[in-house]
Amino acid sequence: MPASSPLPSPMALNIAAPNPSMFKKRSSQTLAPLASAASYLSALSQADARARHSHGRTPTATPALSLSSSITSSSEDTVLNEGDPSSHAHGFDNFDGLALPVRPPTSEQVFTTLHTEFGHCANEAYRLTSQHTQGEAVPAHVEQDPPYYILLSTYISYLILICVGHVRDFVGKRLSPGSYTHLVPRNGYAPLNSDFDSFYTRRLKTRMDECFSQPVTGVAGRTIMLLDRISPDYNHTQILTGTRTRALNISSYNYLGFAQARGGCADAVEEVIRRYGVSTCGARLEGGSSDLHTVTEALVANFVGMEDAMISSMGFATNSALIPALVGKGCLVISDELNHASIRFGTRLSGANVRMFKHNDMGSLEALLREVISQGQPKTHRPWKKILVIVEGLYSMEGTLANIPVILELKKKYKFYLFVDEAHSIGALGPHGRGVADYFNIPPRSIDILMGTFTKSFGAAGGYIAGTKSLIDRVRLRGHLGPYAEAMTPPVLTQVLASMASIMGVSPPLPPLDGGEGVVTTSGTYVHPGPAPASSLPNWLTLPYALASGTEGRTRLRRLAFNSRYLHNGLIKLGFITYGHPSSPIVPLLLFNPGKMNMFHRMMKDRKTPIIVVVVAYPATPLVTSRVRFCVSAAHTKEDVDVVLRACDEVGDVLDLKHGIGRGERWTVEKIVERAAEVAGM
Amino acid sequence: MNSTSETLEPLFNFLDTSLLTLEDTFNKLPGSAVILRYVRSSHRNDPGRTVLELILLLFAIWTLLQSRTRADRTEKHFIQFTDKEIDELVDEWTPEPLGQPLSAKEQADLASVPIIAGPNGPKPKLVSTGKTVTNLASLNFTGLAGNEHIKQRAIETLKKYGLGSCGPPGFYGTLDVHMDLERDIADFLGAESAILYSQGFSTISSVVPAFCKRGDIIVADRGVSFAIHKGIQISRSTVRWYDHNDLKSLEDVLEGVEKERRKRRGPLTRRFIITEGIFEKDGVMVDLPKLIELKYKHKFRLILDESFSFGTVGRTGRGLTELYNVPAEKVDMLVGSVAIGLCSSGGFCAGSQTVVDHQRINGPSFVFSASMPPLLSVSASEGINILRSTPSILTTLQENIRAARAILDRVDCITIPSHPASPIIHIYVRSAPTTSLHPSAAAHSPTKPSNPASVLPRDAANWDWDVETEERVLQDVVEEALAQGVMITKAKRLRGQEAVEPRPSIRLALTSALTKKETEKAVGVVKTALVKVLGRRR
Repeated sequence: MPASSPLPSPMALNIAAPNPSMFKKRSSQTLAPLASAASYLSALSQADARARHSHGRTPTATPALSLSSSITSSSEDTVLNEGDPSSHAHGFDNFDGLALPVRPPTSEQVFTTLHTEFGHCANEAYRLTSQHTQGEAVPAHVEQDPPYYILLSTYISYLILICVGHVRDFVGKRLSPGSYTHLVPRNGYAPLNSDFDSFYTRRLKTRMDECFSQPVTGVAGRTIMLLDRISPDYNHTQILTGTRTRALNISSYNYLGFAQARGGCADAVEEVIRRYGVSTCGARLEGGSSDLHTVTEALVANFVGMEDAMISSMGFATNSALIPALVGKGCLVISDELNHASIRFGTRLSGANVRMFKHNDMGSLEALLREVISQGQPKTHRPWKKILVIVEGLYSMEGTLANIPVILELKKKYKFYLFVDEAHSIGALGPHGRGVADYFNIPPRSIDILMGTFTKSFGAAGGYIAGTKSLIDRVRLRGHLGPYAEAMTPPVLTQVLASMASIMGVSPPLPPLDGGEGVVTTSGTYVHPGPAPASSLPNWLTLPYALASGTEGRTRLRRLAFNSRYLHNGLIKLGFITYGHPSSPIVPLLLFNPGKMNMFHRMMKDRKTPIIVVVVAYPATPLVTSRVRFCVSAAHTKEDVDVVLRACDEVGDVLDLKHGIGRGERWTVEKIVERAAEVAGM
Repeated sequence: MNSTSETLEPLFNFLDTSLLTLEDTFNKLPGSAVILRYVRSSHRNDPGRTVLELILLLFAIWTLLQSRTRADRTEKHFIQFTDKEIDELVDEWTPEPLGQPLSAKEQADLASVPIIAGPNGPKPKLVSTGKTVTNLASLNFTGLAGNEHIKQRAIETLKKYGLGSCGPPGFYGTLDVHMDLERDIADFLGAESAILYSQGFSTISSVVPAFCKRGDIIVADRGVSFAIHKGIQISRSTVRWYDHNDLKSLEDVLEGVEKERRKRRGPLTRRFIITEGIFEKDGVMVDLPKLIELKYKHKFRLILDESFSFGTVGRTGRGLTELYNVPAEKVDMLVGSVAIGLCSSGGFCAGSQTVVDHQRINGPSFVFSASMPPLLSVSASEGINILRSTPSILTTLQENIRAARAILDRVDCITIPSHPASPIIHIYVRSAPTTSLHPSAAAHSPTKPSNPASVLPRDAANWDWDVETEERVLQDVVEEALAQGVMITKAKRLRGQEAVEPRPSIRLALTSALTKKETEKAVGVVKTALVKVLGRRR
């Protein structure tokens, strides 16, 4: 590989790119600001020097590490050091182990992603395909119970919190009425916040406010830059100290790692800002539609395998403002009890009746269906106009997968319509990243409506709803967004186009994965459509070879699948209680005691390699099952997951969190880390 | 007999000992003597009370044992079916199709939506014809769309932040640029604080339910936008309506609410007035000083939706508060659209720190949605800088509005409800002159006031316009204007879903990006189209 030439942008490694245009492609928009060949060479030698000092063992599956180099090192330095005085002083700084890969790449391996944004991982052993084993039953949602003393102490914790809270309120109101003025009627105005309603917020949530709304800066990629803050008054005010900390980010919804400030997608977005500006000025039906919307909608429809799709500028609003276009009075919505707030918002606005079934419990769903169809509408007993079952593909707090195969069987019998919210599953599941239908190898068109968001896997914003052409046209006219909400902006549209196209690959097509890929649909099994035709993208949008060929997209999918299973199974093997499907990139780890949430968060953040986590508690979860939620990304390397596992192992011992499998079956963290591929495959 | 008692003896013994141990342990408990004494004396004084307390205890246990969600099976309307019957009913049931196919008219509606090739702006190119048109349809009031400086800042932000924020504000989605924009908006308006939502439309429908709960009282204008109606619907509060932009009617309703409360001697609940600065439905402007006076007098909080007035009126585009010189602090919740006012994306609510903090926990579309892409947030901040430093933008916009009104006001086949300073101009077809010489006089005839509990005004029955014909005619006008190179749009509505069916109208959106000459020329085309099409009708 010619060392001085500007390099293409394969994310992982690209040994021999067949397309010669890759070499001229970069010249105008080199990602790494390497001014000259000399600077590149010096970067190489620096990287080599670092590699010699690094402690990395030779991985089994990578080529020998004789002369190692990292193309991105110099660009990384500039980004890392920006606004960070401490690292300026010491030159390059990798004290937290986040800036440089543990295993330096070899000279043949060319990474053009920033390691801090999208980790460098060349080991092909750490890849998996996200796919349902045909014929196997979908695991139901099992709530594993902790020992009784944990349950008891959890209840007692809440009891103490509530009692102390009330005592403090009682005393506080008498001793310092000043701090309660916003809770009592004043000058003839009722308080905005009633004393009772805000009790939970004031007395329980405020105590752990340091876990929430942490301000950050930069890209929410593999790592994230925290703006440090302190609270001098028990979390009533938060003061930014002005310093920053880089932390390993296992919290953002960045499943495929498209949150990147560099790379083919960002270049495409830059191009569109120059061409289109940042706004399309107005609602879709009132002069805010552009050709980009048409192109993106067609690509989204192609991606999810539906006839047509409509996009909206906000994920929440896709549900809350478009469900009313589907159902109305005289219709029934059957909703999973753990469905997202936006779905509840939308169904409430629609005026339809709502019934709920137990989370992912198909028996409960069937019993409910039999009841509602036989009883008809309340009081009048007239038959329902239509019944819409709304489930989520992947539940954001539990990590469970909807049991789509069984729901589809029920659908045949009970003739309801099925709406699947793929906010978290689109892009993140399935061998082709097309969501739960792809995961279960089900033709997407057997589902009536597929809805999803672009915030998560695609690193963009907004959402889509897809279905038959006539249905989506109706939604365009009758949904609340068409006439009233601003259209999606060109930069966001382009990010969607570029990231989606790179998952699909742009024709010429991908070499087949393991046979069986094509466009032929035989009865029963669905075979996924091929890559996006180049004509379906705007002609100015040129993706680098690795993106356009789909190799990078496929690597991202496979890395995500590996990381998800590795973390999930690793935590189980360490003895933790986790929820959800092992293939889910959302991995909830149960903490139970409310006091442990704060501790867990802080202990993870204060490590040598800081890790930031999301802790969720009541009311987002049931009272006892407070949890920490990891969101795995394709941007994480296997070593990053190791770091998380080691941290959990230590913290878990201190906080007494290991209540899962028995001591005898547990593995040590070293054993898990060593046999990662085996763990992930379990 | 003897044998039975013998066999039962161990049992009796056991009961006896366990009773004794129970008594023993109870006596050992600290304070048990007090309880015992209390129960004894209460039983001695009033044996009835013991019975009552026992019943209460049993009732409490029974209630606790009941399942939380009462199954419908116990309801009197529930019919018991056998499994076979249910199977038959299931087989019999045929649902309606999920979505009815579009009618020919709806298809035509959808097909007539203009699609722009390339960037939008004052003179975009259309996909359908490939021609460049003058744009009086898109919302680009201050011409910030396509601003080179904003583009440059957006690209810089992209290189540092990437595109998406990948998380809700609560979980690592709060970026420094979001906090900057919030501060910029608050500073710009003179409010204490502000909160950012990621879509303009969803802002108000989230702000309303964040504050207004069941039992609270909302007094709202009958002409408020669809988004506000949805917010009110989701809030489940008690709503009283006052006549569209009629502050006299508002005062009556406020007094009525107060009277009602005093009569009922109910507790003090939160009370809100919800209205818009410039109404989305017809471009009417509210008299803010008078509104503020009423709100203080009757002790209501004011939720003011400035979606169409923020960034369009006032010397530098600060909205109604600047226009009327009212401090923004006097508006409790000032809602605006970043998408409309600053040509970016999203919305905001400005107010006191308490008001803003409350929404950070209770605003559904704030809490449950990913935050805005950082580059859009920086673009908006840059937009504020531009508005601040170049008041001439607003002067040009107002000149263009005046020029447009000067032409349109002289057309006699239309009526324009919009305020003369409103950047959106709604055009109604003038009703046949037989009804009254002065339609406005008829509307204000001294009839009884409308029922505040009903969203429809009393004179709704007398509305003499025919929605379908007018829409058709107006669509003809739109197409005629487009043929002459001016893109305008009908105000699109969700017929059948709106609480009050708005009258069909053409909605012009003026922009400072066009010169006065260009505006006059374009509005001239609209005028010709109106005269031609409406003249043909008569």
